[in-house]
Amino acid sequence: MATRIGGFAGRVLRVDLSTGKISFDDTVERYREVLGGTGIGYKVIWEEVPAGTAPFDAANKIVFATGALAGTGVPCNGRTAVTTLFPSCWPRPLVASGHMGGQFAAKLKYAGYDALIVEGKSDKPVWLFIRDGRVEIRDARHLWGTGIRRTTLEISQEMGQDSVVAAIGQAGENLVPLSVVMNSVSHSAGGVGAVMGAKNLKAIGVQGGGSVRIAGDKSEWERLVKFHLSILGSNNQHVVPSFPDPHSEYYNPTSRWVGAPGRSWGAADPPVEINGGLYDLNRIAFRANNGVFYLGEQAWKHTVRGNGCTGCPIRCHTILKVPSVAAKYGIQDIAQNTCAGLLFGRSFFKCLPGGLKSQTALEACMVGMHMADDLGVWCNYGQLQRDLMKLYYDGTIKAKIGSKEYTSYSWDKYESGDPLFLFEIIPRIAMRQGELAHSLGLGSGYLLDHWSIPEEVWTQDLACAYWKLGHPKHHANEDDGQCGVIINTQYNRDSQCHSHVNFIRNGLPLAVQKKLAAEIWGSPDSVDGVGDYTPMNIHKARRARWSLVRKELHDSLGLCNWMGPWVASPIKERGYSGDDSLESRFYSLATGLQTSREELDLIGERIFVLHRALTIRDMSEMDMRNHHDLAPDWIYQDPNGAQVFTRGSIRMDPQDIAKAMDMFYELMGWEKATGAPTADTYARLGLQSVAQALAAKKLLPGGKP
Amino acid sequence: MTGEERKTLCEALAEAIREASATGMLINKGILLTNLKEHGIRDYDEQESPDMEALLAQTLAAHHDLAALTSITGEMLYHSSTLLSRTYASILDRKSSPVILIAEEVRRNSAEYPRPIPIDLFNRAPFDLTTEQVEAALKCMAMSSEFQDISFTTTSTGAIYLFSIRHLERPYAAFLAERCDTGLLLNP
Repeated sequence: MATRIGGFAGRVLRVDLSTGKISFDDTVERYREVLGGTGIGYKVIWEEVPAGTAPFDAANKIVFATGALAGTGVPCNGRTAVTTLFPSCWPRPLVASGHMGGQFAAKLKYAGYDALIVEGKSDKPVWLFIRDGRVEIRDARHLWGTGIRRTTLEISQEMGQDSVVAAIGQAGENLVPLSVVMNSVSHSAGGVGAVMGAKNLKAIGVQGGGSVRIAGDKSEWERLVKFHLSILGSNNQHVVPSFPDPHSEYYNPTSRWVGAPGRSWGAADPPVEINGGLYDLNRIAFRANNGVFYLGEQAWKHTVRGNGCTGCPIRCHTILKVPSVAAKYGIQDIAQNTCAGLLFGRSFFKCLPGGLKSQTALEACMVGMHMADDLGVWCNYGQLQRDLMKLYYDGTIKAKIGSKEYTSYSWDKYESGDPLFLFEIIPRIAMRQGELAHSLGLGSGYLLDHWSIPEEVWTQDLACAYWKLGHPKHHANEDDGQCGVIINTQYNRDSQCHSHVNFIRNGLPLAVQKKLAAEIWGSPDSVDGVGDYTPMNIHKARRARWSLVRKELHDSLGLCNWMGPWVASPIKERGYSGDDSLESRFYSLATGLQTSREELDLIGERIFVLHRALTIRDMSEMDMRNHHDLAPDWIYQDPNGAQVFTRGSIRMDPQDIAKAMDMFYELMGWEKATGAPTADTYARLGLQSVAQALAAKKLLPGGKP
Repeated sequence: MTGEERKTLCEALAEAIREASATGMLINKGILLTNLKEHGIRDYDEQESPDMEALLAQTLAAHHDLAALTSITGEMLYHSSTLLSRTYASILDRKSSPVILIAEEVRRNSAEYPRPIPIDLFNRAPFDLTTEQVEAALKCMAMSSEFQDISFTTTSTGAIYLFSIRHLERPYAAFLAERCDTGLLLNP
C-alpha cells in the first residue's frame, strides 16, 4: 500500500551527529497523519525532545521537512519548514519553525527524502553530504568561519552544479539567536541558524536524481496545474494590477502586481521589456517586482530579473544590480531577496536622505543584503532594527554600554541614514562583538531581560510593533482587526500567517471581498475594511480558524503560505473567486489518496493542535489564555485618542478581544477558560496519546482523556 | 432586410467593436457605420435598413462581452469589456477633460474600494497628465461648486492623496493614505 502512494518521496532521513549514525524512517507509515513540514517537525519534537530541553542542547533536534506537493509541478511548492526549539523565544524556548523557499525542498525530494532530522552534536564542524542514497557527514573545519556565500560556493563546487546548499554564516556559528540558515543564495529560515551552529553543523548539500511520482490521472493533474496558474495573481496573491489596465476592471496602487507593459528589467543584458498580455500564463513572472514595490520606480533600471522557488512563477526575490555600491562601499553590485530580507539594511534607519524610495534607501538595502545574507543574521521580521531604533532614540544604549564602545559607533551616520553605519553594526551582531551587538542578537525578550527593561515598555509602544515572547506582530490588527489579533496570539514567534492578509490586501473592492467572504466563510461580515473595524462576530472567528489551519496545511504540504490560499483570483468571469479546495485536489491527485477539503483541513487542524499541545507541555501550563495567548497593550490604544471602532483607527477593545478569543476557542473545541484543547478535541483529531501524556502532567482540561 | 442579413450585420458590428477595443479605442455609431461600408459588408442605407441603434442593441444582446458607455459628451460609445474594461474605457473617455477625469476617478475609488489615491497616479498611464495639467484641474475644481467634494490629505512624507468627502471621512482618508504611502512599505 505504502509504495503505491504518490507525492511523498517515501523516506525520512535521520542523522545523529553525536554518533554518526544515519538511518531512515518510512514517511507514509510513520508521518502520513501529519503530512510533512511542520507536521513532521512538531511530531518529532513531541515524541523525541523532552520538555525542558534547551535549544543548544544536543538533545534538541532540528527538522528540515517539506511535503507531498514539493518538487511537483504545483505552483508555489518550494517550501521547507525548519522546526526546532527556538532560541529567541522568551522567557523560555518553545517550539517554532522557520520557513525557507528556494530549491532545497525539491532537491531533498529528488534525493528521496521528505524530511531530514538532525540530532545530537558533532565534536567538530561538519557538513552533510546528501546525494540520493549516499549520505555522509563531512569535515567542515575549512568552512567554519566563512560566510554563507563562500560555503555555498565551495560545497557546490565539490558536489556539482545541480546541488543545493543550505548553510549558516558566522552568526549561526557564534550561537547568535537571531541567525538564519539560507539556501539558494537568498532563501532563509529565520531563528534556526544557531541551533545548527550548536550542533557544529555548517551546511547541508543536497543532490537528487529522482523525481516525484504523481499517482493520479496525469491529464487531470495538468489541467489542475493550468487552472491554478490561471487564478494566480502576483506576490501575496494580489489579484489586481497596481495600475489601470485594459484587461482589468480593478486596480490598486498598493498591489504588488507592479509589472506593466512598457517597463523593463533594465539591468538585464540585454534589458528585457515587459510586453504582451498581463494575463498570459507565460508572463506571470513579469507581475511581481518587489524591488520596485518597496523602492519605487527607480528599481526598474536596476532589475536583472525576478528569482524564486521551485515551481513558482511569481519570482518574488528581485535580483538588483546597483553598480554605484561597488565603488562606494566595496561590495558586490548584485544582490537579491524579498520583503524583510530585501529591506534588511533600510530598516535600520529612522530617516533616510530622500525617503524610503531614495537612492540612499536602495543602497542601504544592497549593503544590508550583502552583509546579512552572508553573515547569516536574522532580523526577527524587522524587530532587530526597531529594537535598535528604540534603544538609541530613548537614550538606553548610551546608558547601558560603556563610553568606549558607544563612541566606537558612528551615531552621526546612523542618525543621518548613512549606509556605512551598517558596516559597523551587522558584523558585530554576527560576531557577538561588544555589549550592544551581543544584546541585539539575543532577540527582543532576552535583550530586555539582559538590560533589565520591563517588557511593558515594548508592549505599550505601537511604533515598536512588538507582540510577545520576544517576537513582533505579523499582520495583526493593523491589517485585519480581531482576526489578525487572534492569529498573532497563537504562535511562539511572529505568526508568519498570510492566509488572512493575502485576502485582505488582494486589491479587490470591499464589496467584492465581502461577496467572496460570504461564499467562503458564510457571511460578508467575516471581513471588515482595513481600519474600519466592527465588533467581533462568529464569522471572523471562523475566518481566523480557517487561516491558521490553512497556514499549517501549506507548511506541511510544501506550499507557500506567502502566496496561498488562493480563494480570490484575477478572473472577472469567476466573479474574482479562486478555489478553496485547491490544496485537497492537488493532494488527492499527487498521492492517490482521495481526500476532501474537509478531511485535509482536519489534518491541518491536527498539526496546529499538536503545536498547541507542545506549547502547553513545554510551558508546563494549561492556562494558555492568560499565559500565552496574549496581545500587547498597544492594540488597545490610539495615538490620536480615537475610540474603538472608529473609522481610521486600529484600536481594539479588550472586552471585544476577550469575546473574540471565546468564539475562537469554542470553534476550535478548546476550553474557554484556559484555551486548552479538550480531551474530546484531541480524540476528534486522532491525538488521544497526546491527551494522555498531557493528562499525566495535569495539563488536560478535566484531567482525564 | 432578412433575419440572416441582420445577423451578418450584427456580427460585423461586433467584430468592429472588438477590433477597436483591442487597440485601446472606444468606438461610436458613426465610425461603426463607416467601418461597415469600408469593409463592404453591405451598402448600408440608413433610409432603407433597420435603425442602427436597434442593430447595435441586438449586437450587444447577442455578444455578452460587448458593452455601451455614455460618454462625457453624451454620445454612446461601444467596447468589448474583455479587451477594454469598463474602468479603463471610462478613463479613456474622460481623458479629454482632466477635471472630469480626476474627479470621477477620485470619487469612484473613494466609494468603491474605499481609498484615496495618490496624486501622482494621474501622471502615469493611462491618465498621462502633466503635473501642470493636474494642478490646473484641481484649481478649477476648487472654484466649482460641482466638485466641492474633492479634497486631499497629505501624508507624513508630504505625498498628496485625493479623495471625495461624499464617500470618505477625512480622518479615514488620512489613515488610508498613510497606510498606502508608508505603512505597507514598512510592513512587509
